[in-house]
Amino acid sequence: MSAPNDAKRTLHIDPYEKNWMRISIILVIVFAAAVTVAGFALGFQVPSPEERVDPNNLTGPWENPGLRELSPGVYELYVIGNATTWQFEPRDVEIPVDSTVTIYVTSRDIQHGFKLQDTNINMQILPGQVSKLTHVFEEAGEYPYICTEYCGVGHAAMFGNLTVVEK
Amino acid sequence: MADEQETEAEAEEFHPRGTVAILVMFVLAIIILWGSVYVILLSRGVTV
Repeated sequence: MSAPNDAKRTLHIDPYEKNWMRISIILVIVFAAAVTVAGFALGFQVPSPEERVDPNNLTGPWENPGLRELSPGVYELYVIGNATTWQFEPRDVEIPVDSTVTIYVTSRDIQHGFKLQDTNINMQILPGQVSKLTHVFEEAGEYPYICTEYCGVGHAAMFGNLTVVEK
Repeated sequence: MADEQETEAEAEEFHPRGTVAILVMFVLAIIILWGSVYVILLSRGVTV
């Protein structure tokens, strides 16, 4: 005893639709592979929470934000976003070429952003959280940094400049 | 009944060339734009 409607029960998918699904799956696989290679094989990292701080009582290196030389060519840069003065602290930084700079960011008040032009450094600045990224500056020039999070009426004034000079 | 079968047969034979062309352009645009951003990411150096 066979079912008379067996042929109608099979799912019909148009060949064009099948091909579109195949292309979509291949694209997802290629994108995932590219991101995996960049992250794990080449070492590209996204900023992660480094530590927690009290935004109302920034102590230690945050009392005097700016550049610190750890050894020749190796620096730490502490940057604070401040919505009271609508500026980054510090606003201007100068380093020699081929320097390795680890940038730490946090906020005194509200959420900001920190994007260093022409590099892969792009971080959220959150009150109470420190984020960090390290970059090697192999080319001399101006690297402006800007707030990428609309933080209030003074948002447009939140910018600074990192200058890489020849040795 | 005969008309229904005829309509189904016509639908099976229909090839939407214009739609396929637009989708091919769309896929190529995604690949080119995404690929160029990926190359820019790689050229800017590693962040750790």
